[in-house]
Amino acid sequence: MLQRSDSVNPDTSGLSSVGTGTVAAPMIFDPRTDIDPDKDYGTPAPTNDPTPVGELISLRIDGKEVRVPQGTSVLRAAAMADINIPKLCATDSLEAFGSCRLCLVQIEGRRGYPASCTTPAEEGMVVKTQNDKVAKLRRNIMEMYISDHPLDCLTCSANGDCELQDMAGVVGLRNVRYGYEGDNHLDAEKDESNPYFTFDPSKCIVCSRCVRACEETQGTFALTISSRGFESKVSPGQDQPFMDSECVSCGACVQACPTATLSEKSIIDKGQPEHSVITTCAYCGVGCAFKADMKGDEVVRMTPWKGGKANRGHSCVKGRFAFGYATHTDRITTPMIRDSIDEPWRKVSYEEAFTFAASRIKGIQKEFGRNAVGGITSSRCTNEETYLVQKLVRAAFGNNNVDTCARVCHSPTGFGLKATFGESAGTQTFDSVEKTDVMMVIGANPTDAHPVFGSRMKKRLREGAELIVVDPRSIDLVSGPHVKANHHLQLLPGTNVAFINAMAHVIIDEGLESTKSIQERCDVESFETWKAFISDKRHSPEETEKYSGIPAAELRAAARLYATANNAAIYYGLGVTEHSQGSSMVMGIANLAMLTDNIGREGVGVNPLRGQNNVQGSCDMGSFPHELPGYRHISGDEVRTQFEKAWNVSLDPEPGYRITNMLDAAVEGTYKGLYVQGEDIAQSDPNTHHVEQALKNLDCLIVQDIFLNETAKFAHVFLPGSSFLEKDGTFTNAERRISPVRKVMEPLGGLSDWEVTLGLSKALGYEMNYNHPSEIMDEIASLTPTFTRVSYERLDKEGSLQWPCNDETPDGTPIMHIEEYTRGKGNFALTEYVATEEKVTKRFPMLLTTGRILSQYNVGAQTRRTENSSWHGEDVLEIHPHDAEDRGIVTGDKISLASRAGDTQLRALVTKRMQPGVVYTTFHHPESGANIITTDNSDWATNCPEYKVTAVQVNKVLNTEDASEWQAQFAEFTKEQLAYLDN
Amino acid sequence: MSANELSHLVKMANQIASNIGLGSTEDEAVDKVVNHISLFWARPMREKICANMQESADDLNPIATKALVQINAKL
Repeated sequence: MLQRSDSVNPDTSGLSSVGTGTVAAPMIFDPRTDIDPDKDYGTPAPTNDPTPVGELISLRIDGKEVRVPQGTSVLRAAAMADINIPKLCATDSLEAFGSCRLCLVQIEGRRGYPASCTTPAEEGMVVKTQNDKVAKLRRNIMEMYISDHPLDCLTCSANGDCELQDMAGVVGLRNVRYGYEGDNHLDAEKDESNPYFTFDPSKCIVCSRCVRACEETQGTFALTISSRGFESKVSPGQDQPFMDSECVSCGACVQACPTATLSEKSIIDKGQPEHSVITTCAYCGVGCAFKADMKGDEVVRMTPWKGGKANRGHSCVKGRFAFGYATHTDRITTPMIRDSIDEPWRKVSYEEAFTFAASRIKGIQKEFGRNAVGGITSSRCTNEETYLVQKLVRAAFGNNNVDTCARVCHSPTGFGLKATFGESAGTQTFDSVEKTDVMMVIGANPTDAHPVFGSRMKKRLREGAELIVVDPRSIDLVSGPHVKANHHLQLLPGTNVAFINAMAHVIIDEGLESTKSIQERCDVESFETWKAFISDKRHSPEETEKYSGIPAAELRAAARLYATANNAAIYYGLGVTEHSQGSSMVMGIANLAMLTDNIGREGVGVNPLRGQNNVQGSCDMGSFPHELPGYRHISGDEVRTQFEKAWNVSLDPEPGYRITNMLDAAVEGTYKGLYVQGEDIAQSDPNTHHVEQALKNLDCLIVQDIFLNETAKFAHVFLPGSSFLEKDGTFTNAERRISPVRKVMEPLGGLSDWEVTLGLSKALGYEMNYNHPSEIMDEIASLTPTFTRVSYERLDKEGSLQWPCNDETPDGTPIMHIEEYTRGKGNFALTEYVATEEKVTKRFPMLLTTGRILSQYNVGAQTRRTENSSWHGEDVLEIHPHDAEDRGIVTGDKISLASRAGDTQLRALVTKRMQPGVVYTTFHHPESGANIITTDNSDWATNCPEYKVTAVQVNKVLNTEDASEWQAQFAEFTKEQLAYLDN
Repeated sequence: MSANELSHLVKMANQIASNIGLGSTEDEAVDKVVNHISLFWARPMREKICANMQESADDLNPIATKALVQINAKL
């Protein structure tokens, strides 16, 4: 029986090497798992390996016995035995193509010279990869390639990283008999339209790796080979420049290119990196692993790492290219203080800033009470930093007024999944999608907000999986190249719970539920009560159609598709949570999965797609005011005592304020001090007027950030933050995967974020002593039952770990609730549809819903300071052609957008993506004021704001010189605050 | 449209009562609201809404009102 190696970088030279030392069981190389992520095996591992586990086929390559799974190519089998057959068009991220003919070999008993990339290995096969005949053929092939190639290797940007150059060397090409004077492509014009990479067709060998990467890896199909024969060339769109084509600038083509044809501009400018460090992306909740390619302490390229289990070697335009913000001139690297926000900032030492902040906080507590201050942890900072901020609040402030930006995005996920399954987290791995037969995507836009996972979804859809999209807007997944939703349920914003109840009603009504799994795995009493509730006619799709707008027949068909699939999975985003019934909707989703036995194995599950990189982690780390790390309520004596002993402090057993409650109390004047790490509530939280009023009322606002963000304009203390490149730590992604973040450059402000929190805590009189973030993780592991076997040592060895990771599951938990639910029996929760109070009227006749776009990230503080703004320089209002026509609006017109909360002005984009009566915008640019419009309605259970439903009116602005009153004030205030920096 | 703190708390209490008490008897519904507010609301929030129950009497729904009476007794 083969044994799995526990190393991610095993010695691949020994195919049956025996372990050494005291290890009793022999360590045997397993070609299924023991791959070196830094090596290119030429073709991918076979996907549907029919070989039973433990049985492999055997062949001889150059006299060496090689054992591989059936379906493995000869090229890959050879690479596994460290026999490296020359190749150009093959790479193991793409299916074999067989065009370059460089990998040809001789096989005993077969005629000719088959390409090893397209030839499957067979039992007993005898292969010769090197002899005079194949050497001559390979030289002939290379000779033709090189006869039409600029021989500028020494000054070429790919010098040192060019497979063509390598292969010319490997095959021993010494002269080109054809000469260089004939027809060639050397004068082909460069396309430099993309801000991040250059396309130089003069260096192209037309291997199609870029075209295939765009299709297979990214799924955009923006590239093709146009024309035929000698005229063949790579064409973005229809022979357009890259920027004018459908290209989404994911960079997969650049990575796949074996020459300098597609090159990062940063590499052209600076040359090849001299070392690399594996780290984790700081953008969305996919948590892609990257190699930060370095020259000294400068990042010159980010390359998605093939060994990353979340991204499997892919990336998006943000993670791969938008890292320049880290060294942007807007970075603030010196601590600053001021007595009031109407004064210029004073640059001071860290010590002075800490002392000033601590004395103000203490003064406030003395005057207004212990509860008058609190803190907000960041879903962008590391687990360790988040843990420290909540520890500072609980131990040094002496209250539980700590919250995190997950409050305004996924807090209903934590509440809803805990109430039904018993754990506040998604149930699957991203890999699980490869076994999914039916995907239901609700209120999420993966190709924009979680692009790398969106690409993995599209790949599975192209393989034949079926798709239900539930969204008021027609997102890209609804209809794209080789992807078409079976059902797009285009509901009206605010009617999610009516929709999910109708789905469940149909399943019960038509007897499609999984009675066996319900009886075995769920709380039967809760099921019976719920069944009686959901069977009522008011939940039938024929009734809910009247207000959700989803045609009953379409919903019934979608319910049947979901319920009868072998493996059906639900993926959801903030379109589910950011509603007045966000928690009810999450519970409704969980009900549906339990009802149809879609929990507890690969291919199924409930998958919340997390917005920011460490939303999951910040919640895990005890950032919510009622919970200690590991989602344990603060009122529990046993748990609280454990923390009290470890922290040597007495803890308040009462839950503290949430962000929204903090702001309400601040407006009232009873809440006066706030420490905000890596979060921009002035831009991201709803009802900006209210937020600004609250922030102005504070006597001490401490902001720790890399930029003077919108919140910092109201601050009294500014502490320089550090980007993900400047510190060690961990992020936890949407699949509960804890991945290492590694320091590749020194913090520009001198201290990493965790060190700043230690300094502030010490000044407050509560000293915490850690020499390195690994010691913080050790403390987290010692206090959190789901983390007990997590350590930096293990993360270095394993690459990443999915919690729960403890004595029961020492290697982590890819799939949850396999045997039983965390809470024991699954609980069916009653989810009555209660319409939001935010209703359309004659004055506000339309509904606004908000979202994100591919190139920008959240409040845009990072991506706006990169070339990503070339794609999205301003937020626009998407509006349906009928509504636009009624108002005389055409694309590009300035419009006013008004709600009961406020009004702003944007430019219009007329598009059929919208349904009539619904408009949409993004919130990436502060001056847009999207959150001037949104109200302070929130989820009943968690206070997660209802960003997704706001009644509005849209009108054309006649005097385009005008800005809205708020926008004019914003511009003035920003100018004033920036002037205060110049001292 | 900024609600003040009290009106926001009243709205939250009503929302909880509307969503959480389903399929229960009135007593059970009240218990659930008491439990939810005790688990998730900071003490100053509970104190504030309880201290102003008379002022908010017309705005609070019956389940929320009964729950707050119980919460007040425990403060």
